[in-house]
Amino acid sequence: MRTLLRVLVRLFPPSFRSHFGAAIVEHAALDCERDLARGRLPALRSLLLSAFDIGRSALSERLRPSWVDVPFEKEGTAMRSSFTLESGGADLRHALRTLRRTPGFTATVVGTLALAIGTIASVFTVLDRVVIAPLPYGHPERLVFVAAEAPGSEMTGEFGPAAEFYLQYKEASRRLEDVAIYASFTNSLRVGDRVERVRMGAVTNSLYSTLGARPQLGRLPVAADEDRVAVISDALWRTWFGADPSVLGRSYEMAGASRTIIGVMRPEFQFPSDGTLLWVVAQVRAEGLQTGRFGYNLVGRMAPGTDREAVAAELTALARGLPRRFGGSPGYARLIERHRAVVRPLLDEMLGPAARSLWILFAAAAIVLLIACVNVANLFMVRVEARHRDLAVRRAIGASRAQLVRLQMAEALVAALLGGALAVALAGLSLPVLLRAAPAGVPRLAEVTLSGRTLLFTLLAALLSGLLCGGAAAWRGASPNLARLREGGRGSTGRRRLGRDGLVAAQTAMALVLLIGAGLLMRSFLALRSVDPGYDTRDVFTFQFAPEQAGLKDGPSWARFHLDFLARLAALPGVTSVGIVENVPLDEGTRDDRFRSEEMPDGPDAGRPLTWTFAAGDYFRTMAIDVLDGRPFETADHLSVHGNVVISRSAAKLLFPGQRAVGRRLQQQGQKDWHTVVGVVEDVMQYGFRDTPQALVYYPLAGPTPTSWSVTTPAYVIKTPRAEAIAPEVRTLIRQVAPEAPMYRAYTMAALAARSMVALSFTLLTLGVVSALALFLGALGLYGVLSVVVAERTREIGVRMALGATAAAVRRMVVAQGARVVALGVAIGLVTAFVATRALSGMLFGVAAFDGPTFAAMASLMLVIGGLAAYVPARRASRVDPCESLRSD
Amino acid sequence: MGTSLLEFHVLLALAGGALHGYAIAERVAAESGGTLAPRAGSLYRVIARLIREGLVAESEGEAEAEIPHPGLARRYYALTAAGRRTLGEEARRLKQAAAAAEKRLGLARGRS
Repeated sequence: MRTLLRVLVRLFPPSFRSHFGAAIVEHAALDCERDLARGRLPALRSLLLSAFDIGRSALSERLRPSWVDVPFEKEGTAMRSSFTLESGGADLRHALRTLRRTPGFTATVVGTLALAIGTIASVFTVLDRVVIAPLPYGHPERLVFVAAEAPGSEMTGEFGPAAEFYLQYKEASRRLEDVAIYASFTNSLRVGDRVERVRMGAVTNSLYSTLGARPQLGRLPVAADEDRVAVISDALWRTWFGADPSVLGRSYEMAGASRTIIGVMRPEFQFPSDGTLLWVVAQVRAEGLQTGRFGYNLVGRMAPGTDREAVAAELTALARGLPRRFGGSPGYARLIERHRAVVRPLLDEMLGPAARSLWILFAAAAIVLLIACVNVANLFMVRVEARHRDLAVRRAIGASRAQLVRLQMAEALVAALLGGALAVALAGLSLPVLLRAAPAGVPRLAEVTLSGRTLLFTLLAALLSGLLCGGAAAWRGASPNLARLREGGRGSTGRRRLGRDGLVAAQTAMALVLLIGAGLLMRSFLALRSVDPGYDTRDVFTFQFAPEQAGLKDGPSWARFHLDFLARLAALPGVTSVGIVENVPLDEGTRDDRFRSEEMPDGPDAGRPLTWTFAAGDYFRTMAIDVLDGRPFETADHLSVHGNVVISRSAAKLLFPGQRAVGRRLQQQGQKDWHTVVGVVEDVMQYGFRDTPQALVYYPLAGPTPTSWSVTTPAYVIKTPRAEAIAPEVRTLIRQVAPEAPMYRAYTMAALAARSMVALSFTLLTLGVVSALALFLGALGLYGVLSVVVAERTREIGVRMALGATAAAVRRMVVAQGARVVALGVAIGLVTAFVATRALSGMLFGVAAFDGPTFAAMASLMLVIGGLAAYVPARRASRVDPCESLRSD
Repeated sequence: MGTSLLEFHVLLALAGGALHGYAIAERVAAESGGTLAPRAGSLYRVIARLIREGLVAESEGEAEAEIPHPGLARRYYALTAAGRRTLGEEARRLKQAAAAAEKRLGLARGRS
């Protein structure tokens, strides 16, 4: 009967037949068999009816095809795609159904993936916006940062070129279309009663043309404006001026001079750093230029079609002509001979170390995602094993390998996409946390939000994870071992154990790499915390304010004002000591200049490069800066010019090598007066705890000469146990002496210290969290795999125990199996970490990238966690009841 | 898109969940009061057409709750979203037609 039907079915076109033929035969045969119950005649009638129907349908099908199959269709691409989409849809629906039926499994898989994808999505969002997004200027790839180096000269490492370089480049370079000098500094801005120290830029007018930046309002400075004008940022315009367009043409005091606002820049113009509120004009003229004043920042725009090497070669050649054109000392000429221009992408320069931190974080998040994928892949593998019989049956009755693969992949993809959707929500939640923890100096961080690119990235990450997770299982599931159907599908094959063990070992290795990275950062953090910066940051409060009074006109009058205010502060309850410094460490930088002793010759190259600032009151005692020799300043030093200075240990060593510095005299370059050293104090680290100690000269408040300098806005430091709470009382005192002056830059020194380490602590914190996640997922993976192994080997364990193995022996056996895998993973992880931790070396402090103790500690931690993860299933195994396990078969 | 009566009944049969071919035939026969008893060849042509039109999709699934037929357990058919929509539209159209018929027949009775 079936043979007859099969012959008849051949009347159908091949594509239809191949798809429905077997079903039609089966269907008709069943009809026939059913009717057989009512007798032979009805059965025969049924068979004939079916046969007739088949013949008729086959004819219709050949005349008007209702079915189009993929391989046989040539022109029907639209139909083909609708067909595959629909059957793909069926796969997806089936996947959803299967996932719904096992909520525990699904929750684990989706949750794991969501956590990992969410982590990488939020890191990607930051990375994309901060590092990957181009600078907001036209053709940003042509913008370069120009520095200099002169190996073998007294200038070590890379340094900023001098002004004459800029002039030479601007006039003579063909490969640079334009070039500009810029500098960033803090100075006071006065608008009505409001005076604050804000971040400003001092830039040549060519900066705007170099970058291609335009104002949103007003115009840009031109040469005729000289330095009497300024352009302001969008932020300053909105916050200080209420976005009032009439601000153009008004003049305010900026950086010590009255300047007219002529333009408002667009919001995206944040140069050179975020938070720069206004830009004043830096003028560079060839007339009267003094050569060899290095340290400027240069930005250039390369001409189209040239590259950085060519630019560097051209600029190096151009610089050779500098001594001929501008003169300068023999030392300068020698330096120029060794000079080489350094040309780097501007974006690299602006991002600095932030880029590396973020890439490291991204790599760590990618590792966690890999670990999560391995876990989920393992879960799917286990499930495929469980469904092995079902798959073998499907294969036996004709399901194609591709169909089985598709089925598995659909499930993994659906799970991953669900995870991805959840991950977007997770990223939305975690991003603000990440941003709040991020260091203040990271550029462009304020612009970071979840974007379309984040969604796209998350989708890709989810799809990739789905492929990774489903791939292994699909591969296993696609070729079910038909022979095992006969055995009843028992027993574990070596190949699949090898696969799972390999995955766990890989997972362990990856988690260990992250752990070691986090460990190294932790050690650096601790080392930095124990650095002695030359001062004590505990219980110190610092603030600034800018009094504005008619009587304050020269050094001594400012000194009297500040000394009087110091006395008022000292009278506050709980205050141990108070002091003044012009540039408080960790907050502001000191100024550089050359100083010489009386033995050193005069001239442009004379003396030593030192830094200088002002100090008064009990500054050294308040900051616990040791006085090594002589005495600190006395009140008399500030009120009139006695020409006394205090210098730091390194300054003394540089100026007076091998001699006692107290009582000797020094001179700042470009000044006539000589100053007598009255005391030597310990060096301080001005910029952070990685800094080299500064060779520093402290002037008294009176200044080098009575009129040359007035310390308008020094930083006050107050030593008090109430450092956290004293601000309101200080504000009250300020209101009494200078009602118009607000208090600003108010911090505890401890907060400044924390801020200075925030780049490290941010990476440490995030890498710590990420590696904890990796450790957890890794342990989970090991636990899961051993649990399955124990479940599979229940019978074997039962036999062993029936034969006399003790519970302890069984536990040992299972733990040993886990330990072997973990040990392999640890070995691989150690080797990988040895290479990978080099990426961290820029961030490490006081610890080598290959740090034995850290490696050993983290490897032990991994082994212990691995042992614990193995122990739980081992205990379960040792509780196997031999009778039960044997009976269950 | 209009559907034939058999197509409508196949869609109707699948509205309750995925079925294999034989179960579709049984259900169609039951739900059409025995007026439709498609034979294998016709039935699968209809199914093929519905699949091509995107109203029905194949799924390689375990049956939802149906008694499995040995030997036919390998291919199930389920309504797609479009199929569900079409079924609803067709049902509405039939209801309107039925209401119109009843109204007209009722009027005819009233006149006589």
